[in-house]
Amino acid sequence: MASPITYLLVFTAVIILLVVLFYPKGGIYWRLKNSFKNDSKTLIEDILKKLYHAEDGGNSLSTNDIISSTNIRPKKIIETIAQMEANQLINFNNGTIKLTENGMDYALRIIRVHRLWEKYLSEKTGFDKKDWHDIAEKMEHKLNTKQAKELATNLGNPRFDPHGDPIPTEFGEIEAIQGKPMPVFKEGTIGRIVHIEDEPDIIYQQILAEDLHIGSHVHIVENNEKRIVFHSEGEEYVLAPIVANNITILQLLKDEILEENTFRLSSLKENESAKIIGISNECRGEMRRRLLDLGFVLNTTIELDLISPMNNPRSYLVRNTAIAIRNEQAKFILIEKIKNHANSN
Amino acid sequence: MKTNKILNISNDLRWQIGDGFHDKLTEGIYSDAAQIAQNSVFKKGATKHFRFDRVLDKIVTSKIWGFPIMILILSVVLWLTIIGANYPSGLLSQLLLDTIHPWLKETTISIGFPIWLAGFLFDGVYLALAWVIAVMLPPMAIFFPLFTLLEDFGYLPRAAFNLDNLFKKSGAHGKQALTMSMGFGCNAAGVVATRIIDSPRERLIAIITNNFSLCNGRWPTQILIASIFIGAMVPKGFAGALSTLSVITIALLGVFFTFAVSYFLSKTLLKGEVSSFTLELPPYRPPVFWKTIYTSLIDRTLIVLWRACVFAAPAGAVIWLIANISIGNITIAHWMIEHLNGFGFLIGLNGVILLAYIVAIPANEIVIPTILMLTVMSVSISGVGEGNGVMFELESATATGEILRAGGWTLLTAVNLMLFSLLHNPCSTTIYTIYKETKSVKWTVIASVLPLIIGFVVCFIVAQVWRILV
Amino acid sequence: MQTVTKSACDSCEYSNTSGLKKLGINTDDTDFVVALAGNPNTGKSTVFNALTGLRQHTGNWPGKTVTRAEGGYSFNEKKYKLVDLPGTYSLLSTSQDEEVARSFILFGKPDVTVIVVDASRLERNLNLVLQILEITNKAVLCLNLMDEAKRMEIEIDDRTLARDLGIPVIPTSARSKVGIQELISTIHKVATGEIICKPHRIKNVPKQINNAIEKLCVEIEKEYPNIPNSRWIALRLLDGDERIIEAVKTGEFITE
Ligand SMILES: Nc1nc2c(ncn2[C@@H]2O[C@H](COP(=O)(O)OP(=O)(O)O)[C@@H](O)[C@H]2O)c(=O)[nH]1
Ligand SMILES: [Mg+2]
Repeated sequence: MASPITYLLVFTAVIILLVVLFYPKGGIYWRLKNSFKNDSKTLIEDILKKLYHAEDGGNSLSTNDIISSTNIRPKKIIETIAQMEANQLINFNNGTIKLTENGMDYALRIIRVHRLWEKYLSEKTGFDKKDWHDIAEKMEHKLNTKQAKELATNLGNPRFDPHGDPIPTEFGEIEAIQGKPMPVFKEGTIGRIVHIEDEPDIIYQQILAEDLHIGSHVHIVENNEKRIVFHSEGEEYVLAPIVANNITILQLLKDEILEENTFRLSSLKENESAKIIGISNECRGEMRRRLLDLGFVLNTTIELDLISPMNNPRSYLVRNTAIAIRNEQAKFILIEKIKNHANSN
Repeated sequence: MKTNKILNISNDLRWQIGDGFHDKLTEGIYSDAAQIAQNSVFKKGATKHFRFDRVLDKIVTSKIWGFPIMILILSVVLWLTIIGANYPSGLLSQLLLDTIHPWLKETTISIGFPIWLAGFLFDGVYLALAWVIAVMLPPMAIFFPLFTLLEDFGYLPRAAFNLDNLFKKSGAHGKQALTMSMGFGCNAAGVVATRIIDSPRERLIAIITNNFSLCNGRWPTQILIASIFIGAMVPKGFAGALSTLSVITIALLGVFFTFAVSYFLSKTLLKGEVSSFTLELPPYRPPVFWKTIYTSLIDRTLIVLWRACVFAAPAGAVIWLIANISIGNITIAHWMIEHLNGFGFLIGLNGVILLAYIVAIPANEIVIPTILMLTVMSVSISGVGEGNGVMFELESATATGEILRAGGWTLLTAVNLMLFSLLHNPCSTTIYTIYKETKSVKWTVIASVLPLIIGFVVCFIVAQVWRILV
Repeated sequence: MQTVTKSACDSCEYSNTSGLKKLGINTDDTDFVVALAGNPNTGKSTVFNALTGLRQHTGNWPGKTVTRAEGGYSFNEKKYKLVDLPGTYSLLSTSQDEEVARSFILFGKPDVTVIVVDASRLERNLNLVLQILEITNKAVLCLNLMDEAKRMEIEIDDRTLARDLGIPVIPTSARSKVGIQELISTIHKVATGEIICKPHRIKNVPKQINNAIEKLCVEIEKEYPNIPNSRWIALRLLDGDERIIEAVKTGEFITE
């Protein structure tokens, strides 16, 4: 019999090996699998997307720009670009690459699948917001046109993805995003968030941490080079301009402006009562339906009933029934506080 | 196709309406409802009874009293179960094991049954059944009705409400607190109880981790081993306290694993499953006492018992057979024990224990009797036991301890057995129930294998570290 | 306004119990199928037990009955099969746990649907009631937990309610078996056609949606002329319910 120390060492070695191989995303196994997958079709489609986004933003890219924006071997990229030119997806124009009509169609098709898939993830699965992009990034190369159509039909032919981006139609038509980046607007502007960009990841994570919702109304109170301060749903937010730049705002007309008296249900205190004025668009799928079914609908009066010992969840009195929901969900429910509520205890 | 036309039109219309169809429709229905209710409902203001509900709710969910009340209630239920089951269990085992069993054997042999058949039928099948009934029935007949009474009164949703935050942190649902407590009674019943969790992901988590609740079938094993080996380490006066403490530690370790595994599952395998949380707190209602007792006996106790019996009977047969059939000149049991000994040693157990856990998959209740029988057989102790393939238990814990020590048991074996009894595959009744509830082979396999792997790893590490230190 | 009490029907013909025979789980060759639907925890299983003499598990806990239970009774020489459905808040949802109830009410074609509601929370329960009334026109409202409502000093004018909903309304306290006799005979009358219901149809639907529904209804009725609930099917199609889309393809709800 070997000594226990030997056994432990062997065991530790095996565990370390398994972790190195299979650690989510970073593991060698996954990387190998990915590098096999990274065949020329995927690469072509990724380049098409890059070109599309660049052109959409009014920029243009050269071969070098593309090489420096990925970590794939330059040789492979040059080969692929040559192949794309041969297939008439792109053509060169003084050193910059332009999409041909074919290329444009192709790019839109990929973007369509990507955004449809994000919509699907948001409506029909429990994946976290921050995972949507990566999953859709893989799926966009897998679905063919027919499958994309079926998916779209199942989802009710949605027009926007969960980030507020328009989804191209089957025939490659795409609505323009309305609104402008937040830093463009002057102090005092009241607007609605219509889009939150999910790339680059670092900035998106910061926005997620702030817990801002698409569809929320915002009131900009300070806007300078250092920071942007705005109010939304009873809370105050402070963002760096570079972060705010990824949030698109549509200025509201006078009659669309809601009362300043809008709060999130999570801020309701004991002995206050309120009226529900809506559920945020960020609350989707099964969760949203559940809340509606339980009676969290427009114009319902609502009261805080009980607070659990650890503050979360809390139960609310809705139509005479005590229903407990978590604070994370209560944040999605917008209310208007009713004043002069008589103390009922 | 005309039907296609319907679908095409509906697709077009859906696109025109855009998002928010469900919202608008629900709003519409509710405003109809409000109108109708306004016409026919008259309320004379809040009454005293309503207040009583509120006051009670404020207390049972308060920061100060919420948790103590919950712990108190659970302890009382478990205490009543363990203490209360002792006497009827003893009575049943005297009747079924000490009286009926010898009588059956003698009578059938005297009317001409061959000895092997009587052995197979009564030492094997009957004994396993009798054991399961004697050990399982009384605690379940106490635990489930008590639990059901709490449920009918309306307390349980409040417990879920209090605990939800803890469970949320590991990606689970507050109602899992209840299925977990139910698991302390019986894991199969706990798995069925997960039906109250209406969110698919959280329900799967609750099903897979229910096995980490130390069930009624395992408490006696823990208590016995703890009092023989752990209680014996300290002076007599402290023995009881220390062994109780060690059993509670094991149960708490189970709770720890519930959370850890829930967290792991929600971050990996179950990441994409749909999740939604809402919990209705129904009004308190005084339970209809006798009816509740009756239905809980029929619904839960007898059904679970029946399933356990169905599985235990063949297990009894197998245990008897492997101990009595020889290949070459050793019995199958001997042969298996020898082969399992190596691995058993590695994880601080032995071949006998592993074999007992293999053949006693149907019910944890028969693990200790099987271990005793196999130990006596494999080290050929004479003067104790009832013969090959006949499970037995001894009156005194000391005598049991002597047999086990003769079988090579040390303190390490005992500790690891306690760990392994907590961390191994669910019993076959539970496995079957998991399959019925999830209708998925994949989740059933995961729920069965995952705890076993954890058990092996934990026992292995404990064994090696122990051997280095001691 | 009429106050509902236990004695409301003590002297009338319904209190004659001789017509009722509880059949337990014996549900062979029944004349009528009756579904019990309602929100969770409103006493469906209690009503079920009172009618069939069975002992389905009841519990003060939403989500207790998860698979449907069946039992039978006979009344005035007719045999009834009673199906206790799992509680649901709505039929509009797509969640798996509500699938059993959704499918049975639409595809199981019960002869009568008894909707059990909590009298002390009527408004909230009406959400489901109004949905069911879109599907079927043979329904009875069982206004259960009347004792609790009374304790909370809530009074309900059941006649107005019956008129507004267009179906018979029977106040009950199922746990103490109050009102069960009337329930039984009303089910009988609806099943045999003695009472004809004119169920309420949802009115407060936004115009845009209503137009879409009507357009679609026309198409559905063209294809399936005798369908009683084309409006409901239209609603579900517009919501993208895959089960209904499948049923439209196979024509499931018209086959008798
Ligand atoms: N006070 C009172 N309680 C009732 C009545 N009917 C049912 N209950 C109780 O309400 C709870 C829920 O009943 P159950 O039949 O399980 O409801 P289900 O979920 O709709 O099947 C149980 O605790 C019943 O005892 C009634 O008429 N009066
Ligand atoms: Mg029920």
